[in-house]
Formats: sequence, structure tokens, C-alpha cells
Amino acid sequence: MFKQIKDLAGGEYYLITSLLIFMVFFIIVGVYLIKLNKNYIDQMSQMPINEPQLNEDENIDC
Amino acid sequence: MQLEKFTYDNKIVRNFGLATLIWGIIGMTVGLLIAMQLFKPSMNLGNQYTTFGRIRPLHTNAVIFAFVGNAIFMGVYYSLQRLLKARMFSDVLSKIHFWGWQLIIVSAVITLPLGFTTSHEYAELEWPIDIAITLIWVVFGINMFGTILKRREQHLYVAIWFYIATFVTIAVLHIVNSFELPISFLKSYYVYAGVQDALVQWWYGHNAVAFFLTTPYLGMMYYFLPKMANRPVYSYKLSILHFWSLIFIYIWAGPHHLLYTSLPGWAQSLGVAFSIMLIAPSWGGMINGLLTLRGAWDKVREDVNLKFMVVALTAYGMATFEGPMLSLKQINGVAHFTDWIVAHVHVGALGWNGFLTFGIMYWLIPRIYKTELYSKKMASFHFWIGTLGIIFYAVPMYWAGFTQGLMWKEFTPDGLLKYPNFLTTTLQIIPMHVLRSIGGALYLTGVIVMAFNLGKTMLKAKLVADEPAEAMPLAKNINITDPADQKWHRALERKPMKFMILALIVILIGGMVEMMPTFMIQSNIPTIASVKPYSPLELQGRDLYIREGCVNCHTQTVRPFRSETERYGDYSKAGEFVYDHPFLWGSKRTGPDLHRIGGKYTNAWHFNHMLDPTSMSPGSIMPPYPWLIKQQLDTTTTAIKVRAMQTLGVPYVSGYDVVANTELQAQADSIAKDLQQNNIKVKSNREIIALIAYLQRMGTDIKANKFTIPSNQ
Repeated sequence: MFKQIKDLAGGEYYLITSLLIFMVFFIIVGVYLIKLNKNYIDQMSQMPINEPQLNEDENIDC
Repeated sequence: MQLEKFTYDNKIVRNFGLATLIWGIIGMTVGLLIAMQLFKPSMNLGNQYTTFGRIRPLHTNAVIFAFVGNAIFMGVYYSLQRLLKARMFSDVLSKIHFWGWQLIIVSAVITLPLGFTTSHEYAELEWPIDIAITLIWVVFGINMFGTILKRREQHLYVAIWFYIATFVTIAVLHIVNSFELPISFLKSYYVYAGVQDALVQWWYGHNAVAFFLTTPYLGMMYYFLPKMANRPVYSYKLSILHFWSLIFIYIWAGPHHLLYTSLPGWAQSLGVAFSIMLIAPSWGGMINGLLTLRGAWDKVREDVNLKFMVVALTAYGMATFEGPMLSLKQINGVAHFTDWIVAHVHVGALGWNGFLTFGIMYWLIPRIYKTELYSKKMASFHFWIGTLGIIFYAVPMYWAGFTQGLMWKEFTPDGLLKYPNFLTTTLQIIPMHVLRSIGGALYLTGVIVMAFNLGKTMLKAKLVADEPAEAMPLAKNINITDPADQKWHRALERKPMKFMILALIVILIGGMVEMMPTFMIQSNIPTIASVKPYSPLELQGRDLYIREGCVNCHTQTVRPFRSETERYGDYSKAGEFVYDHPFLWGSKRTGPDLHRIGGKYTNAWHFNHMLDPTSMSPGSIMPPYPWLIKQQLDTTTTAIKVRAMQTLGVPYVSGYDVVANTELQAQADSIAKDLQQNNIKVKSNREIIALIAYLQRMGTDIKANKFTIPSNQ
């Protein structure tokens, strides 16, 4: 079953390392996401629609 | 605290918008022309500057770098200023960026039809233009980072993360894929050869799709879609996860373009595994976009901008599901080299890039002109004819791809190829190519209608070149006493340079794991003793093959399938390409593979075939190449080419450059003599002689010397 990642004359080292890098990377991003502050998320997601602009004509539509 | 008054630069946004329209129409018109060439060879217009091989790269470069490129800069320059509450860092740099980019495009329009090409797909432009691209890209980077540094908004919205990743990754890709040894003003050789060159090229090619056609567009989607729907993005957390996982995973997936080639098996497996994983972040983006419209679907019925955005996101979802499926070896074995891949690419290009661009332009142009769109009806017409165009383009191409891919593999009960003549499979799908052109024409009509509509919109009002705005200065805004602000990622976001470096590290990991072993471990590219460097005449012939863009229709890699070894001959080995600067494996078989063409036909057959392909293959759609018979081969470059190859490690004996032309002449004379015996009178100094020499050499090194092939190939 794992013959594509075993017995590759040294090549398997790269496959297994990549898998580990990949897992570590996602664990870090996962932990970071869980710890994110809700107010911050709200503030960030409002950013494009809360643009203070002068002479903004909201009636423009097409 | 005092509000600061400043202005947004809308003129640069408008200029990039105009360039998007103009180059879009030009690039798609060339696309339509080459589509017609595939069923009506007379559309090659009978001259060398408009043959398929030379102008297919013009189409791809024009739509990717001119149409999409200008659209990216339009979207980035509009959204960046507003998200950062600051005018662009420097108006002068903006202008240099704009005009520099247009000059690069013009230089492509001139050099590609003239046959100056590196042959690397989507990186065909020669080395002086590569340098110009680097310089202009740096100008863009300075302008973007300068704006980020003088911003009045503490945090960087996720769209800007995508822009930063785009900037840094394209810079890395472009530089690594441009290591060329110049031999004249517009000719160079890649320093990489064979398998290594293929790996670098498809690491570049795949990630150009990722970081030129995807990440900047996702950034724009995250800004413009909430603006259009007037509601925040569905999940900001998902956008963060989507961002980091996308840029991390994408970079590994390049080798899926090289499945069943002589690339080391472990690198192919790695490419497949990461390609499958790519579904998750890609669909994360699509779902985030579509769910942003939750509760606003009634608006989609009314608002043509949103219609364009919804189709764009749907096309993105389809293409990014199909991509990983195509990277599965079993599917790839049928789909690769067929029109299936062309269909896949165009669902992304026409649907995702095209429709997102159109949606943004219909929204943005009236706003920077403070007016309303000239005609909503026309925009709606554009939406429907564009959608119809995509369907008429994609469905026939899928059909053609399935049909031809299966025909190539079909055997009779006796175990013989059912369609041994490649041309039979080409002629079978001609009606599909006609339909595809109709699809392309419908899509182009929509774009022309849009150009008219937006042109009228611009003419009826005056551009607000400097749009006034006001915001608090940044220094007074920062409140680092808030404990939440002290967390590492939020701190990182306030430090864009460190953010860029982290993004750089993330994208470098995959590329390095894949490339370093292929470059540093000898066993990955085993040599074959009987494979010798090209003769000087073959080397010149190879450069003509590159100049004419033969690689656009013919591959040079026989895959280890019985259907291919039956049709073409022994499958290709890594060791056969060690002197190939650049590799010419190609990615599409409009005509048959040529790796084992050497010795298959006579010199006279090749001569007649190049003069008039239909004389040897009745019904052939290959254009004739009469100029090769008229034009004299430039032998003044032979010595410098041999020396360049020596510099790159090709083992010509010392001093070979001095005698190279003598050997070239001797080989040319023998071919001319052979042709004469077949009643073909042609001078030995013609280009056709060199091309025949190259074609006759291809793949022959191991034919009579099979014992020299190492056991692991």
C-alpha cells in the first residue's frame, strides 16, 4: 500500500519530511485560528465595507 | 486627534483598466485566430509570423500577462489604497509601472511572432525582456510596500496578504525560471537541462497559475465581493486558513504536469499528493465567496456585477476540483496532451479570471467616474453571451479531449492499435474545434460589447482622478496596550516586511524539497553512455524547432504505456535529455509525439512534409513551412552556441567551436546529396537541412545501444 513512499533509495526521506512539515504547519495555523479574538475578526471582516470616503455616492449602482 | 485629508489616485486605476480592455480584445482575437488555424490551416495566413507555433505563445502571454496582468494591477491599485487609507506611495513609480508593463507587452508582441522564444511555456520571452519584467516587478513591489508602510490603517486586510504573497512568489518563480545564458541580444539557453529543466519549468508554470491567476484574484474577490454585496465576507477565519494553506500547498503541486515522464517517481507522487490536498484550500475560497452572498441572493438576480462574480466563483470551484482529479495518474494518463487540458484551463481563464475581471470593471469604472453605467442591458447581454461562450468553448473541448485520449489508447482484439495513424484521431475532433471557435467568438463579442459600454460610460462623465478621502494617522491609532494586539500574528500583520518573509519561507519549502534532490543527487538523473551531444547542424536545427514553436503542438516524451510504445517506440528515459538546453517535452499533442521520429522517415519525406504537410499526410492540419527551404541557415552563430553549451557542461571536446562549422557543412552536404538522389534540389545551406538533421537525430541515441540504459530507467 505504501510502496510509493517506501524503498525509494533515500527518496522516502523527502516524502516523510514533507508530510511532517505539512502537519506541523497546519497544527500551527489551527492553533492560531482557535485563539483568534472575535472582536478582531469582526473588525477585520468589516474593513472593505467600512471605508470612510468623502463624496461617496451610495446611489451609484449598475 | 486630527483627521488627515488625502486623495486616492484613480487615474492609474483607470489606465490599467483601459489597458485590460485593449489587451484583452487583442489577446482573445489572437486566441480566436489560432483556434481557427486548428481546423483551417489557411488561417496561418501563409507567412512565418502568423503560424500557430509562433502566435500561440502570443495568445497565452497576451491573455495572462497583458489582460489578467493589467486587471490585477487595476484591482490592486484600487483596493490597496482604500484598504490602507493611503494614496499609492509614489505617482512616479505608478507611472513607471504602468508604462513599463505596457512596453514589456509590446516587446512580446514584436519578438514572439519573429520567433524569439525560450520555449518555456508562459515564460517564452527572451532574456532582455526577462530583466525588464524583473525591474518593473520590483517597481510594483516598492510602490506596494511603500504604500503599506505609509498606511493609516493598523491591520492588513486578508486581500493584502494575497497581494503580498503574489508579489513575493512571482518574483521567486520568475527569477528561478529565467536562469539563462545569453548568446546574443535575443537568444539564450537555459542553464538547466532535460529533467531538471522540466521540473523548474513546471514548478514555474503551475505556480504562475497559482500566484498570477489565482492569489491576486482571490485578494480582489475578498475586497470587491463584500463591497458589491455590501456585507462582510462569510468567514474571516476561513480566509486566514485558506490563505496560508493555499500558498503552502500550491507550490508543491508542479510535478503533476510531468506524470509518466522520466521525472523521478517520488517527485511525481509528491506532486499528486499535494494536488489532491489543494481541493481543500481552493474550495475554502470558493465557499467563502459564495456564502458571502448568503441572504443576498435576491441581489444576484438584479445585479449584473454579482452575476459575473457568482459564475467566476463557480468556474473557480469547477476548475480547482478538476485540477486535482486530473493529477490522479489514471485520469492524467488519458487527459494529458489532449484538449481536455485546454478545456480545464479555459474554464479557469474565461470563467474565473475573465468574469471576475468583468464584474470588477462594471463596478469600478462608474465609481471612479462618479456616474452610472452607460447601459445595464448591454452588461446583461455581455453576461449571457459570455456564459454561452464558455459553454460553447468548454463542452466541445471536453468532448474532443475524451474522444482523442481514448482513441490513442484503443486496441483491436488482435492487440494492434485501432488508430495507428495519429491524423485519424485529429480529424475526428475537427467539428469540436469548429464549435470551440464559435464559443470563443461569442466570448470575444461580449468583451467588445463591454469595451463599448465602458467606453461610453467614461465619455459621458469626467474621471475623478484624485478622489478625496480622510482618515486618522496611524501613529495615533495604535493601541498596543490591548492584550489581543500583542499576540504574535497580529503583531506580524503590523510588520508587513516580516509577514512577507514568512510568506516567502512558506512558499520556498515545497519548491526546495522537490528541486534540491533532483539537482543534487546524481542517481535522480542517471546518464546513458550512448547519449552524445548534438552535432553542430543538429544544434542549429534544434534552435529552428524552438523558433518555429514546434513544441506547441508536438511533445517529445513517450510515456511508458503500451499504447504509446506501440505508436512511437521505446518510452523516454531521463538520461536521454541531459544535453537538452532547454527541454522540449511539450504539453499538448495536436500532432504526434516526435521523440522517436529520428530514422522513422526518409530525409525526402521530411522535406516534402515541411514544404506541404498534406502531400505526405492528406488532410493534415499542420501549416506548411516553405520559408525553411528559402532561408539560409545562419552559421555565424555556430561557434558561440557550441561554446555556450560547453559552459553549460555539454562535453564537446576543447576547441570544437573552431571546427564546428566544418562538421556542420559536411553533415549538411550529405543530407542535401541524399535529397538530390530523391530528385529534390536544395542547397545545403538552407534552414530545412538543419531541421531535418535534428529530426533525424531525435531519440536515436539509444535505439541501437539498448545495453547502455541503466537498469533503473
